[in-house]
Amino acid sequence: MSWTLAALFVAVLPHLLFMPAPVSITILALLGWRALAAWKAWRPLPGWLRLVLTLGLFALVLVAYGGMWGRRTATALLCVMLAAKLTEMYRIRDLRLVASVCFFLIATQFLFSERMIYLFYLAAGCLVATMALYQIQQIPPERVERIDRPVAPDPRLTARAAGSMLALALPVALIMFVLFPRLSEPLWGLPEQAMDGRTGLGDFMSPGSIANLFIDDTPAFRATFEDGLPDRQYLYWRGPVLWNFDGNTWRPGYHSDRPAEQPVPITDNSIRYRIQLEPHERRWLLGLDHPVRSSLPESSVTSDHVLVSRHPVTGLVQYDVISTPDFFDTPVLTSFQRRLALSLPEGRNPRTLALGAELRERYGDDRELIASVLRWFSEEAFYYNLSTAPLGRHGADEFLFDLRTGYCEYYASAFAVLMRAAGIPTRVVTGYQGGFWHESGGYLLVRQGDAHAWNEVWLEGLGWTRVDPTSAVSPLRIEQGARSVVSGGRFLLDWPWVRDMLNRYDRLQHIWNNWVLGFNADRQRNFLKRLGLPDLNTLSIAMLMLAGLALVIAPIFLVLLKVRETRPTSAAQRAWMNLLRRLRRRGLRKLPQETPDEFARRIAAEQQTASAAPALLELAQLYSRVHYGPPRQEMSEEFIDRARRFSWR
Amino acid sequence: MTELAAAESTEVPLAGLQRARQTVNSIIVGKAEVVDLAFTALLAGGHLLIEDLPGVGKTTLAQAMALAAGGSWQRIQFTNDMLPADIVGVSIFRRENEQFEFRPGPIFANLVLADEINRATPRTQSALLEAMAEGQVTVDGRTYPLPQPFFVIATQNPLDMVGTYPLPDSQLDRFLLRTSIGYPGPAEERRLLVEPDRRDLLAGLEAVLDPPRIMALRQQAAELHVSEPVLDYIQALVAASRSHAAVHSGLSTRAALALVQCARAHAFVNGQDYCPPESVKTIFPALAAHRLQPVPESGLSDSEVVREILSDVPVP
Repeated sequence: MSWTLAALFVAVLPHLLFMPAPVSITILALLGWRALAAWKAWRPLPGWLRLVLTLGLFALVLVAYGGMWGRRTATALLCVMLAAKLTEMYRIRDLRLVASVCFFLIATQFLFSERMIYLFYLAAGCLVATMALYQIQQIPPERVERIDRPVAPDPRLTARAAGSMLALALPVALIMFVLFPRLSEPLWGLPEQAMDGRTGLGDFMSPGSIANLFIDDTPAFRATFEDGLPDRQYLYWRGPVLWNFDGNTWRPGYHSDRPAEQPVPITDNSIRYRIQLEPHERRWLLGLDHPVRSSLPESSVTSDHVLVSRHPVTGLVQYDVISTPDFFDTPVLTSFQRRLALSLPEGRNPRTLALGAELRERYGDDRELIASVLRWFSEEAFYYNLSTAPLGRHGADEFLFDLRTGYCEYYASAFAVLMRAAGIPTRVVTGYQGGFWHESGGYLLVRQGDAHAWNEVWLEGLGWTRVDPTSAVSPLRIEQGARSVVSGGRFLLDWPWVRDMLNRYDRLQHIWNNWVLGFNADRQRNFLKRLGLPDLNTLSIAMLMLAGLALVIAPIFLVLLKVRETRPTSAAQRAWMNLLRRLRRRGLRKLPQETPDEFARRIAAEQQTASAAPALLELAQLYSRVHYGPPRQEMSEEFIDRARRFSWR
Repeated sequence: MTELAAAESTEVPLAGLQRARQTVNSIIVGKAEVVDLAFTALLAGGHLLIEDLPGVGKTTLAQAMALAAGGSWQRIQFTNDMLPADIVGVSIFRRENEQFEFRPGPIFANLVLADEINRATPRTQSALLEAMAEGQVTVDGRTYPLPQPFFVIATQNPLDMVGTYPLPDSQLDRFLLRTSIGYPGPAEERRLLVEPDRRDLLAGLEAVLDPPRIMALRQQAAELHVSEPVLDYIQALVAASRSHAAVHSGLSTRAALALVQCARAHAFVNGQDYCPPESVKTIFPALAAHRLQPVPESGLSDSEVVREILSDVPVP
């Protein structure tokens, strides 16, 4: 009973966190009520009340989820109904039902997240549910009516039994995992709400939008490079390119979705790497400047040289990318592009406009102008930190002349306004910069906190050229990542060792992504090919799986049979078998058809010189009383003690 | 029942049982196992079949049992001209009160010695066997219960084939146990030659038990503790008899139940307060051999089959 409640609690816990408060409170209340009822031996609720309760809970879920029918609603309904089942859980049958459904419930968590941490949680939940089932099995038939009082539960023994059961199931699970026929498309669009509560990189940029990501340590993607980690200055992971500025927010251009006009060539400097992208529910895939192509089907490169997928990325994807860093982007700017890259909202930022015009007059050459602005950023008292002060109507003015402190989006935005004011076509690029190089794992981990914004200016003879104003203010940011620049802990648990542990954990997550989540139809086919079984259709794979299951289950079954035959059922029997084993080493073998008494007599007859023979006979007779007689604790203990001390002479 | 009476009812029969055993053993010298089997059958509520040559003491054993056990006893010498009525009794018409009156036959006794049962015709045999199975006799539509305890010791001579009707196999399992006595050992036989005639010794025997005490002993024997491993062992033996290649059909569930009961009674007779596997092993040949029919081609006798089963089944 208590174990079943515990199993249910473990199973619903991850769901509770994502439920509307009334629903989760109801579930907890039902759980608590049932535990209390068991403790105080309350009478079961009357049938009509249970019916009313069930209908009420159904309505509650529908109302709480606004009548929307989805995976969240369905699992919430399952949780609530299972909790309601507790009100009529007064028979073994019900206990077994609840404990069994817990297995399913805990597995439903994978509908929402495929993170590895849930695997551990799943294992723990399965263990508790198995322990509950084991305990239910221990309820003797005559106590069926009194399920509330636990039957002398020894948690260690139960845990061991349940653990060994699960361990036996492990090979079966492995076979199922490797050989279960994969569909090239998942049955359901997994997982629906991967970004639960988190934002990730958006397709717009406004003050604070990137700084807010800074505290988010969740991985955005991981990259492995064919030829080792490229230089830091190349690690600009290109996300949405923003053209349109309304005075506060930067948004993509109207033409951004169009495919690239000129293909990016592959040169000697091209970087080849593999990306493992966490689901972010947007269409862009990240790549270094400038992506040539990716191995992902239905992906393309836009005219802004952003790698995009046709569908939002809702599950973990892996793809190979080739990027050419020294690409001459857009040698000739069309007049439309030029107009777009120079447009500024009217009547705003007069001081910046004035500065732009002044700079334009002073410097004839665009490059010199840009260099002077960057110099200005680094020499004047500009600070780089996390402050996300709201900016008013003249945002760029306030930032450049008054505030002078902010995160990368402030610099990118103000710099773009200033450039456009000076007549240089400029756009904002968002994405990620740098990442944590996992030395032992050999991969680069890029977190949401590595989100960054920079600019591209169009220069005659150079095309679109990256300018990162942040690097002028704080070169460390680019060299070592944002965390090394912003001093102090970002949140309560932000100690170095915690960070170190998280990094280590990410290594596991990487392996998990690679080998478990990434084991799709292609990988399965490759695996089978290596086994010498190419070109199997789904049916053959299914047959192969069944055959594998039979191969795995048969030996387990045989071993279990064998173990059951010889497994001692009592401590006394264990001591006796131990004694027999010791005697066997002395060449004294008990025949299976012999009773203990017959064995001892035969030994006494055969080994007349042995002084221990009478003692053995006595011991055998004592064992016979203990093993075959009515149970007597003290006699059993005496036997165990004497058997332990017995030695053959 | 007062506490004293309760104590008496358990203590005295137990001591009486051991004394009765000693008494019978003093008559049948050197055959303690057979005597144990006889008491086992008595306490398990079954009947005993002794198969042996003439002159080895079958009748003497039965008489000694009868005398030691107390109660009434009858001896029926079976012949081939016997009729069922000679065993169960007849209704005769009484002229004085113009009514039929039932004259009980020799079967109405606590212990019946059915000597040379295979000499009677099958019809007569079956009258006895039915009475053994039912514990009652029906004559002219009226049923007469037999006295309790009702214990039959039957004997038959396996070698004497002329003019006999061997019991059909299907009838054999009316007998709970079947055993033989065999020749006495040399020392015992020498003693027998010196000692006075057994018949004189029997005449001097005194009853040790009586029917109520035997019923009390049966009750106690039936309540003896049988542990799970022993029950497993019994079931394994029965299962092995069914899968044995040389046997037409193995032991029935009734035989398995009988085995449990006999093992209890045997342990009880030996003064134990639980049923050890040794009791099962001792009882098994006497209980199983006459219930198993080896196929002739196997060349095995029923007792050889039983021995094989015992040596094949591990003791848990």
